[in-house]
Amino acid sequence: MVSGLGASPTQVLDASAQVVDDAAAYTKSGPWFLLRANLQVLIDELRADGRRVIGPTVEDGAIVYDDITSMADLPEGWGDVQEAGQYRLARRRDRHLFSFNMGPASWKRFTFPPVIPLSVGRREGREVTFEPAVIDPPRLAFLGVRGCELAALGIQDRVFLGGPFADEDYRARRAAAFVVAVNCTTAAPTCFCTSMGTGPEIRGGHDLVLTELDEGFVVRAGSEAGSDLLARLPVKAADAGQIFRAASAVGKVAATIGDPLPTAGLHDRLLAQFDSPRWAEIAERCLMCANCSMVCPTCFCSSVTQRSDLDGHVSTSERVWDFCFTASFARVAGGNFRNRPRDRYRQWLTHKFATWIDQFGTFGCVGCGRCIAWCPVGIDVRQELMSIAPPLEARPDQVDVRPAAASPAEYTTARIDAVRAETADVSTLVLGGVDAAFVTGRPGQFAMVALPAYPPLPISISRYRQDRIELTIRAAGPATAMVIGLGAGAELGLRGPLGSGWPLERAVGRDVVIVTGGIGLAPLRPLIDAIRDQRDRFGAVRLYYGARTPADMLYRSELERWTAGDDIEIALTVDRADEAWTGPVGVVTHLFDHATWDGSRAVAFVCGPERMMQATAVSLEERGVSRDRTFVTLERHMECGIGLCGHCQMGRLFVCKDGPVFSLAELGEVFGREGI
Amino acid sequence: MMLEPAPHADRTHVVEAIDRTWFGAALGPEAQSRLADLARVVRVPAGTHLLREGATTEDLSILLSGRVALRMLVPERGMVTILTVEPGDLVGWSALVPPHRATSECVAVEPAVLLAFRGEDLRATLRTDHALAASVYPRVLQAVARRLAATRFQLLDLFSQEPRTSEVNPW
Repeated sequence: MVSGLGASPTQVLDASAQVVDDAAAYTKSGPWFLLRANLQVLIDELRADGRRVIGPTVEDGAIVYDDITSMADLPEGWGDVQEAGQYRLARRRDRHLFSFNMGPASWKRFTFPPVIPLSVGRREGREVTFEPAVIDPPRLAFLGVRGCELAALGIQDRVFLGGPFADEDYRARRAAAFVVAVNCTTAAPTCFCTSMGTGPEIRGGHDLVLTELDEGFVVRAGSEAGSDLLARLPVKAADAGQIFRAASAVGKVAATIGDPLPTAGLHDRLLAQFDSPRWAEIAERCLMCANCSMVCPTCFCSSVTQRSDLDGHVSTSERVWDFCFTASFARVAGGNFRNRPRDRYRQWLTHKFATWIDQFGTFGCVGCGRCIAWCPVGIDVRQELMSIAPPLEARPDQVDVRPAAASPAEYTTARIDAVRAETADVSTLVLGGVDAAFVTGRPGQFAMVALPAYPPLPISISRYRQDRIELTIRAAGPATAMVIGLGAGAELGLRGPLGSGWPLERAVGRDVVIVTGGIGLAPLRPLIDAIRDQRDRFGAVRLYYGARTPADMLYRSELERWTAGDDIEIALTVDRADEAWTGPVGVVTHLFDHATWDGSRAVAFVCGPERMMQATAVSLEERGVSRDRTFVTLERHMECGIGLCGHCQMGRLFVCKDGPVFSLAELGEVFGREGI
Repeated sequence: MMLEPAPHADRTHVVEAIDRTWFGAALGPEAQSRLADLARVVRVPAGTHLLREGATTEDLSILLSGRVALRMLVPERGMVTILTVEPGDLVGWSALVPPHRATSECVAVEPAVLLAFRGEDLRATLRTDHALAASVYPRVLQAVARRLAATRFQLLDLFSQEPRTSEVNPW
């Protein structure tokens, strides 16, 4: 999310690419090892540099960030026990200084203090003057910044410094802070940095980074300033054992946390649930106390308040933290835009996990878990998100499946269990004994099918069954005719599943439009299966299918079943009708050109000849389905299926590896253009 | 013609019916109201010939429900359905376009309900009511243009499997 951000906020915004290169250079000669007792040297050096050192210390039954003058101030041997609504300090068996989890304080207190003076206003007679406060922040050193916290600083950098107007007070405070980061070697049940992509390992933005072992610290530099300081420390090169122990401690934390909040498609899933009844239910429990927002390291809202002398001639204007939970936050002279608690909770949660992305290009959450532990009634955002906007259960398309026999030199074999004729020249093969990778494939993926002596064939998977898959193949030449003609019992070579799938996640909570022609229904059939499996997750589902003649339609008995099931609205059309056909005649767009449904919240999945998909895209756009919500699957010459042979290139894209499913927005100008 | 005018239909219902169609929704309330004054509801059973190719088109209609096939006679192949008209679309646009002769046979393949406007009356009204003409004609033209574009796509025969090049296909 914010990986690659440099230590200085000005660099972050001006030359982030350069910063990454430099950071790599600084670590070339590391990592180093600093004996535990010599951490004091680091503190002393920072202080000698004219900096106040801020670090973790035990105060009032919690670990908070405050002034540190010696190692004795650090929370030696202290850990904590945390859960939703729970935080207790606990003694550890070791003497570690940084083996605790997030406390209530965050570094934002120093870069974005709860109160700062903005200006002093004076009224003398009829004249008014405003004198801005002098920005002169102290030189600080942050000792013990974790991965999620560095990510939070990176997020606030974008908020305060990334737009056309910057917050100069923030800029000055941020630039005056030296960052000593610490990789996490412990995690609380409230942690979910792994889901948000921010930890437990430091991913940039630091001057120095430490990993704590019993006997000391593995140290790396991340900036020139860090490198300079490192040169003044009594370090030696870390040995292989120390490097290994440090890496495995961090790795173990990542494994412990797992992925408690799957974020794929979360933005759309959440925004589709504005009207969920859950908002009112959460509001029944939520006290509107704003604790979550106060402990949050990224929340940035503030208000300006006035403190004036008794006669009102001189007043100090101050910026103070404010929160979207407070009753007055959205109030105007005529009323309150977010009067109900449910509205305020929804604002907070949808901002953190959806609209923040639209505004700043990242989630507004780093997964530190503070809001969970410090909520007095124990509301857990992870649980709320999972119940308001749950990810799809079946074949979640965010899971990357490792294909079987990825290399074109390898093939697994499968047995043809049955062959079903669909039309005069199209048949469906039911394959058994397929590699387990196929069973976890996603709708829209394809397989490379091979018979010795014939060229390999890229074929869309047209159904996933418990331990089998189906391939629907048209006899387009000698190889395809041969494969169709093999009959039950014969074996085939298979590689896959390959390529991207249909992003069904994007359609959760929305209407779905599926437009297809001819054999194009085959790659869409697993998508229709997945939708029918969880029908209540989607709005209206409409399938428009066109074929050359009635006899060229695939899966006719299934189409009848789907229609009868009443869960999908199906319209069929043919280019050429016979006497018996009483349905629509015309191209597929003809089926919805005169419809009156509103596509402004719909997601479309389209497959057919490219010229047909282009015409469809135009008709869909007229109905309000935008290009980023219209997905097509493309056909190109594929030999390897893994982006190495170069045949399927389309501009900057490899159709086999980057696709074959793309949104029209992704394709841009190359879609439908001749000769690309 | 086997058209059966429905018993006097409630005018408000006619305006609502116009508003629910693709053709009528974009016209605006004024035009919808003017058209309702001229409209009559027509119900026909399946198999009814609404227009004969080459014959004078008496009515412009909006199809409210059912399906209407546009057919042309091809010697030795009989009547071929070129296109079907779906609810919301127009039947008999030639009632507004000289020489007011139908360009194809027009047959109800399902029981159909239409809102019909007598071509002569409608033309006379549009000649004098320019505001109405300014909203009706673009929509009529759009309907005809869509039909033209759709016909071109059919002509492309995109799902045809005949080889398009002379290159040898190994697949």
